[in-house]
Amino acid sequence: MTPDTRYDDETLMRRVDGELSPEAGAALDAAAAGDPALAARLATLRSLRTRVREAVPLASDPRDRDLARLIAATPGPSPVAGRLLDRLRDAFAPARAPLWAGLAAACFVVGLSIGWLGGDRAGAGFTVDRGGVIADAGLVRVLDSRLTSDGADADGRAVGLTFRDAEGRWCRTFQAGEAGVAGMACREDGGWTMQALAPFHASSGELRTAAADIPAPVLAAVDAAIAGDALDAAAETAARDAGWD
Amino acid sequence: MDEFQTGLVDLLPRLRRFARVLARSDADAHDLVQETVERALARRSGFRPGTRLDSWAFTIMRRIFIDQTRSNARWARVVAPADEVTPNIADAAMAGEDLRADALAVREAIRALPDDQRLAVGLVLIDGLSYAEAAEVMGVPAGTLTSRLVRGRQTLIHTLAEQGVSA
Repeated sequence: MTPDTRYDDETLMRRVDGELSPEAGAALDAAAAGDPALAARLATLRSLRTRVREAVPLASDPRDRDLARLIAATPGPSPVAGRLLDRLRDAFAPARAPLWAGLAAACFVVGLSIGWLGGDRAGAGFTVDRGGVIADAGLVRVLDSRLTSDGADADGRAVGLTFRDAEGRWCRTFQAGEAGVAGMACREDGGWTMQALAPFHASSGELRTAAADIPAPVLAAVDAAIAGDALDAAAETAARDAGWD
Repeated sequence: MDEFQTGLVDLLPRLRRFARVLARSDADAHDLVQETVERALARRSGFRPGTRLDSWAFTIMRRIFIDQTRSNARWARVVAPADEVTPNIADAAMAGEDLRADALAVREAIRALPDDQRLAVGLVLIDGLSYAEAAEVMGVPAGTLTSRLVRGRQTLIHTLAEQGVSA
């Protein structure tokens, strides 16, 4: 084909594929109406498109039934956990990596709890109240009483660092291995409020202690909040026994 | 079945059609579909709900196909290239279809295209994806997709004209 002086093959191809703007398409059609050679080029492309499509038709195949059975027999990970992870992945996409805390955390956590509560609660997970207060009894218990040296409970929940923030509140990082998240919570009005959350994958099922397994966004939240050093084991035990006063 | 599973089952005919555009034989096409499904199931956590499952699955198939092509190319350097002659013949009997001679010629012309152009033709002309979607599946900029599509089409028109098949 000899390219038209005004319309190259790509433009004609776009017209046939519906990838031209309506205005450009109309202009081309008008030009083709008065130009048999151009009209013929368009017709060739249209006809090719039809022929190609017809040459490889969409056909059902008996083997698709076996594949459908395979698909049906392969349930994914807990769909609730999947949705949670997706939101977390969104929130912690590299472009938005800066830690998110305080109000931002509360907003996010509201969205989180809606999705979470909408799903089944049978799987491992935890719930968060509006405003970021952690309502899940299991996680609250872990934050209230578990020591770093205890390692993980049966649901893969463990605490990492314990420290005071600039306002003097007790804060603890935690991992919820089965739920696939880790985070930081601080003591407020007798409860724990979520400060940061991030996707987390337990390393080979065994939770190591301290900072090693804390995801970077949570660690960044710790760095931003911590006043002084994280507690050692003795101080951690004392703080717990004192009821996080 | 959940939404993902249902979506994947619904996609099977399109996946198979795309595989038939890419693969050399019906058996290869089936292997490609099967492998794509298995990988999609194994990696479903990588699929983001709310995005397009078709583009995601096509991308998986494209990657598997490219990997296979690369390893086949390595293999072909070691083994005699005897397979060059056989592939198109098997296609005539593909799934026992009674293809019109013209349709067969078109299919062979598609199969003779370089992989890049064949992918573009398969995604846009045959499956009907938009240029943007096809470029995403192929992992190339939009301009690369359109130039492959232009070249693929020009070659098809040329090849078919040579064979006396009006395009």
